[in-house]
Parts: sequence; C-alpha cells; structure tokens
Amino acid sequence: MPPKRKAGAAGGTAAVATTSAATKRSRPATPAVDVDSSDEYSGDEEIENTEEGRAISKAVNAFSLDLVPKGNDVIAKRDSVSYIFNKQDFSYLKMKLDHESRPLWINPESGVIVLESFSPLAGQAQDFLTTIAEPLSRPTYLHEYKLTPHSLYAAVSVGLDPNDIISVMDRLSKIPVPPKIIDFIKKCTSSYGKVKLVLKENRYFVESSDPAMLQRLLQDPVIGPLRVQGEGGSGITKEKAPQMGALVIPGTRNAAGAANVNNPKGGRPVEVAGDAAEDLFNSDAVHSFEIPADDVETVQKQCLDLGYPVLEEYDFRNDRKNANLDMDLKPQAQIRSYQEKSLSKMFGNGRAKSGIIVLPCGAGKTLVGITAACTIKKSVVVLATSSMSVVQWRQEFIKWTNINPDAIAIFTSENKEKFRGDAGIIVSTYSMVTNSRNRSHDSQKMMDFLQSREWGLLILDEVHVVPAQIFRKVVHSIATHSKLGLTATLLREDDKITDLNFLIGPKLYEANWMELAEQGHIAKVQCAEVWCPMTPEFYSEYLREQDARKKVLHYIMNPRKFQATQFLIDYHEKRGDKIIVFSDNVYALKAYALKLNKAFIYGDTPQQERLRILENFQLNDQVNTIFLSKIGDTSLDLPEATCLIQISSHYGSRRQEAQRLGRILRAKRRNDEGFNAFFYSLVSKDTAEMYYSSKRQAFLVDQGYAFKVITHLQGIEQLPSLAYATVAERKELLAEVMLQNSEAGQQEGDDFDGAKLSYNAGRKGTRYRRTTGKLSELAGGDDMAYIEYNRSRNKDLKGKGQSSAFFKKMHRENEKRRKEQNALKQ
Amino acid sequence: MPRAVKGVLIECDPSIKAIILKIDKDSGHGYIVEDLDDETLVVKEPKLAELKLRLEKILEKTQMLEKDEESDPENPG
Repeated sequence: MPPKRKAGAAGGTAAVATTSAATKRSRPATPAVDVDSSDEYSGDEEIENTEEGRAISKAVNAFSLDLVPKGNDVIAKRDSVSYIFNKQDFSYLKMKLDHESRPLWINPESGVIVLESFSPLAGQAQDFLTTIAEPLSRPTYLHEYKLTPHSLYAAVSVGLDPNDIISVMDRLSKIPVPPKIIDFIKKCTSSYGKVKLVLKENRYFVESSDPAMLQRLLQDPVIGPLRVQGEGGSGITKEKAPQMGALVIPGTRNAAGAANVNNPKGGRPVEVAGDAAEDLFNSDAVHSFEIPADDVETVQKQCLDLGYPVLEEYDFRNDRKNANLDMDLKPQAQIRSYQEKSLSKMFGNGRAKSGIIVLPCGAGKTLVGITAACTIKKSVVVLATSSMSVVQWRQEFIKWTNINPDAIAIFTSENKEKFRGDAGIIVSTYSMVTNSRNRSHDSQKMMDFLQSREWGLLILDEVHVVPAQIFRKVVHSIATHSKLGLTATLLREDDKITDLNFLIGPKLYEANWMELAEQGHIAKVQCAEVWCPMTPEFYSEYLREQDARKKVLHYIMNPRKFQATQFLIDYHEKRGDKIIVFSDNVYALKAYALKLNKAFIYGDTPQQERLRILENFQLNDQVNTIFLSKIGDTSLDLPEATCLIQISSHYGSRRQEAQRLGRILRAKRRNDEGFNAFFYSLVSKDTAEMYYSSKRQAFLVDQGYAFKVITHLQGIEQLPSLAYATVAERKELLAEVMLQNSEAGQQEGDDFDGAKLSYNAGRKGTRYRRTTGKLSELAGGDDMAYIEYNRSRNKDLKGKGQSSAFFKKMHRENEKRRKEQNALKQ
Repeated sequence: MPRAVKGVLIECDPSIKAIILKIDKDSGHGYIVEDLDDETLVVKEPKLAELKLRLEKILEKTQMLEKDEESDPENPG
C-alpha cells in the first residue's frame, strides 16, 4: 500500500481492515493494536534485509540504511491512525502551497515516487519518471516509481544532468525534494556513467567529460599501466563531443523528411521525446585515453570496483574498418512513437549505446531490433530462444528491410550456413552459441567464424529467459561493439537479472502497457481468474497425497477444471474466437487435448507436425483451439489468437503469466470496435494453486491489469456432453491420475531450440481392461464396430486433402473389391 | 431398540466436506453421524467445536503448503 499522506477517515479504516486481516493470517495471536509489529512495517524490513544480504549494490544499502532525520516534533504529532503508518508516517513533510496542481510525491526514505496519473501534468511527469526511475506499478490512478542507482545510471546514460533531474523533480513535486533524495541522486550520478568505453577504429578508448575523473583512473595501480601512450605526452586527448545532429533513425518521421530534401544524413536532430531529456543534453568536450583491447575486461572490472561503472558506446558512423551492410527499412515500414522513443534513447548522442529495451509482447520488439540494425548498418548477430523464433527473425528482416536474403544466415542445429559478402546477419539460438560440448564439425566451423570477426550489433531476444551465466559466455565469445537486449518482462523470481545491467547494459526504455493498449498498439485484454471447486473425491486424495509433485497433478486434473475448460472453449468457439490453452504439465496437456479432441503441441512434437498444427490453427476455421505446453510461452507469433485459457502453470512465476498474456496482445482484430481479448486463469479452489495464482498476477496488476474472479460459470451444467458429469466418470479419472507416477506431475524442461525431436504418435498407450464375453465378440461377430476413442486430433490434421489422384483411385478400387467380397459371402 | 444421537446438520463446499471426511477417518470415525450428500452431512453435536478447530488448522496448511518448494521456481539453467 502506498503511504498516502491524505489518509482520511475512509483510508484509515480500509488500512485497519487490511492490516488486521494480514495479521490474522500469519500470526493469529498478535492483536492488531500492537504498534511495533504492524505487518506492513515488518514486511519492509524484510525486503531491506534480503537486499542487504545479497549485496546487490553498495549504493542501495548506503541509501536505505541512512538514519532518518526525524525530530521530536514528529512524535508529538501522533494521532489516532499513526500506529498504522508507523515509520511510514510522513505527515511531518511540508506540502507546497500549490501542491494540488503538482503530480508527484516523493518518499524521502525509500526513494519511491508516487504519481497522480489523473493530473494534467501526468503525461510530462511520466516521461520524466520513466527516464530517471523504474516503474514499479502502474494501475489506473496512482503510479509508483522508484529511484534506484541503476535507473539513475540509465538516466545519465541518455545524457541527463543531475542538477536538471533535481530541478525538474522539484517543479513537479508536492513537497520540496528531500535533501536525502538530492544526495542520493548526486551520489549515483557522479559515480555512474561518467566513464565511457568507446570503440573507435577498433581501438578501445576510456572516455569521460571530466578530465579529473580520468586522472583519478590513471592513478589507479591497475588501470594506470594499461594505458596506451599516444603521440602527446599526457596520453589524454580532448575532442568535441558528438552531437545527435547528423543521425537519423530510419522509419521515423524525420527520416521521411530527410529523404525529401535528398540528403539522407541531414535533417533535424531526432527529438528525444520527453523534452526534459533533450533540453538537458549539453556536454561540451570529452577527454579520453586508449587502452589495449585485451585488457578491456580488466579495466571494466576495476572501474566497477572503484564505483565508476563503464558505459559502452559504439561510434558506428566513424567505424571504417568493419564493412557496411547495405540495408534499410522499406519505405512502408513506419515505426511507432514508442518504438522511436526507445530507439532515440539507444542512439541518444549519435552513438549506439548498449542496453535493454522493455516492450510488451506483441508491441514490435522485433521491429525495434531490426531498426537498430538498420541504423548501425554493420554485421549483426541475433540470438533468439528457439529455432522457431530464429526462422521468424529471419522472415521479419526480409519483410521489413531491403536486405539481400543471401546476407541473412541461420545457425541452428538443422541449418548451418554463412552469409556471402563482407557483412551480413546471422540468426542463431542461445544454446547453439553456448553449448560447448557435442558440437558437430560444421557448427564448430560456424562458431569459429562467429568468434573470428567483429560484429557491429548483438541483438539478444527475450533476455529474461537466459540466466546471466550464459550471457557472460555469449558476451565473451562474440566480439561486438554494441548489445541490445529485448524483452517484455525484465523480471525473474531469482534475481539473476541484476547482472544484466553490467553484462548488456542499463534498461534504456520501458513502455507503459496500458498506454499502448489505449492507443491500439496492443490488444485490450479482459483478465479473469476462474475458481474451480475441487470435487470431494479429488480433494480427499489431494489431502491424502504426500508427494508434492503428485499433489500438483490432482489439482490440475480436477474434473471441475476440466469442465470449465470445456465450457470456456465451447463458449468462445461459438463467438468465433481462436483459443490457445496453456498447460505446463504435459500429462494434463495430453489428457485434456485428447478428451476434448483438440490439437496439441509440446516439446516432443516433431517440428513438421508443429508447423502443420500452427498453420491449421491460423487458416483452418475448423481448428479453433490448440493446446500448448510451455514451449508456446515465448516467441510464438499467432496474431489470430484472441482467447487464452491457462490450466496449469509454473508455480508463482510472474514472468510466465505476462509472457502468456503476450500471446494474445498482438491479436489481429484488436482495432475492431469493442474488441476484447480474453485471458482466463483456471485455479482449483482450496489448493496451493490459489496462492500461486495471486503471486503470478502481481506483475500484470502492476502493469494496470485487473483480474476479475469468476466463482461460477453461468450455464455450465447445461452444456451438452459435459465431460466427467457423473461421479463414476470422475472416479475413473481419479483412478487414472493416481496411477501416474510423480514424473507426470513435473513440467517439461526448457526447449531452447527444439533439438530433442523424436517421433511420437501423440497418443497414450491404451490401458488393458478385463471383461467377460464371448470370443466371437472380439472377432466382430457380435456386430461390434471399431471406434478409436481419445484419438489425437493432431493426426486428423495430417492427411486432409493431400492424397494424390493415384492413391484415391487405388483406395476406390480397394473399397469396391471389399464390397464385392462381402456380397459374395452373404 | 432404536438409538438416538444428537447431531448438527452441516452445509459446506464439497472440498470442505472432503476435509471433514478426512478428519473423521483419521480420528477413527468420531465425528460424523451421517453423510447425506456432496454438500451436507450430520456431525455429533458435542464434537462440533473440536471439529471446527481442526478444520481451520488444516485449511491454513492447504493454502501455504508448497511455499518452501518454490524457492527457485525459475529454471536455473
């Protein structure tokens, strides 16, 4: 809960209610009046402690541990609701007289900034805040941002000056900017981003606008001796700072203007949206000294230890050694305003900065990457997560640019080729590049090729999926001038992304999901959590089961959930929606899909079959529903899908929830009047799933999505052919579930490049059953017809209309012969 | 000879009923008089308070059950 100053009577009661509820949950014995152990406060302390333990950044700790300059007068002002706020009581802060017209409130202790998004100044303030702080939560009315060393580092990297940050903040804030915040900003900005590592004509230079800083570095025992002596005695050279003036990002409006005056490299400087950033950009001269390429790593590490992390920039326009790649965006490719905004941060001063751009799924991350590649116009390596998305990247490059298709090569387990010519693009997967064992001769040759040359840009797709260790490997093995990370959800449950700040670069830009949805760039989504009660049989088994993995299976296979899935599929198919059903659990995936007779794809589905199913889903109006396992979470581009049902998921993973939602954000029909995409998350009541579900939603709620809870689906009982409607059927299902070993409760492993392809008929082995009967029954003597139950829909999609005239004729003749024989018998 | 047992009619969700059944079974059938249908059953009146207490204890556990297990939910690579 954000500490609001204007907590009146109403706010107060609400807070009391939540606090007491929370207390009751965790410690029933503690009375709610106990001031010192209010839940809210202890929660905060926990966070600080863990952060401390991890020692993510010295600066963070220095900041959060400082003593609060509170006087005695603060305590004197305590009133009836003070105990709720405890240390969060900031009523001692003086409001400015015209505070109502100012949209910001700054927490002097944690650096959290609360923005009133309904204020007329909100738009301006939001642009400013996304530059200097990290968005925490952006629901409808109040947005929260947090100042962190990294966010300030990013702000400096786009050319903001600390004094300007403070003055703009002061202009927008309801209270005078607290001195502690000012100190914090000054401290962070003075250490971060002051030193830059620049590659010029393949020589590395350490650059800074502050000569004193360079002197300090040169006096360092590690860095000093590494300096390459130039012609001058001092070794420090001074030159004019580069200006944005001459660079035009293709696809922007300015590019169009520039083309008109027939001067492709001219035109006005691209305006950095959020005027603050542009106004404040004014560094005059830079100083630099050279270091040898081999010691770049050492210098970077040493600088980090000294508290001056090095910014990497690539002056690609003056790079004459690496061949240019002839490539431009096609004229019809118009990039959207937020894409332009994100790119202008990357190319803020005419050089390419390394960093991460965060855009929601379906908002055109690929195009941002492609535009960046077109701006740099050098050889590019693109790393994606799966071989499926590798193919998509290549297609996108060909679709949006005038690049010669021969210049784009694919490097996967199936496909190893090089491009022709001096410069080109290679698209590959993380696992191909990092896997050092079992490499075939061809791929080893390819790797040597990758490592032997210099690359202008390295595009890292979906950076959040790969742990930092792999990035370190990639970054070390491929020599690139700049790196661009793309992702929709820069979060992991295990904080491994903090390293990305240093391995790739700071977060350059993060888009506001709700804003993009308003503008129609991504679809509007209705989110709902459907509560499915457990049937008594399943629940008693669930309670009895000791093995946690099998427990999982019980709540996933809950027959009521099954019915809800069936009902929702039926309902949405009738509306003409295309539905994707997600299940992490492969056993459940197969069971559901076979029972409901739908096509499904999971890790073991052969590539051919996958493509065929996806094609059918896109084009065939008989196939409106597909079941996907975890492999469909990322990088799967299905603009037809408009409805999403989630039946099992990866514990409390916020990122998975967001990634899955992303599958429907790019819905084709999103601009139809009143169009809504639907996202259902099916949860079995009274089980651990409820707890995970609330955790999973946290990220999307922070992005401004609201989850509706559906406790009962209207008309579910009336659905004809409802699965597991009788107790007997449910018992049978339960028996089957109990027969599964705990392996079935597990999720399948990650599938990076679809390498583990083995043919599978897609049908579970049938179970044997003992029945009494005559032998003639088995031979068909008692008029028994053969029907295959639980037949995989995958197979139906295979043969349709593909047989040639010859086989058709043969088939007809066979049929005729059989009929004749039958006639003869009788 | 007919025997009378004083009981209380309980209406609850099927899942709660499942828990009650489990408690009953674990304690050697000391609570339930009659199992009527999916949502109703009759329990012995003197044991009602005790039953409530045990039910609450179990409910708390079911919600938080696997909390410690998801310490590293993301694939560590």
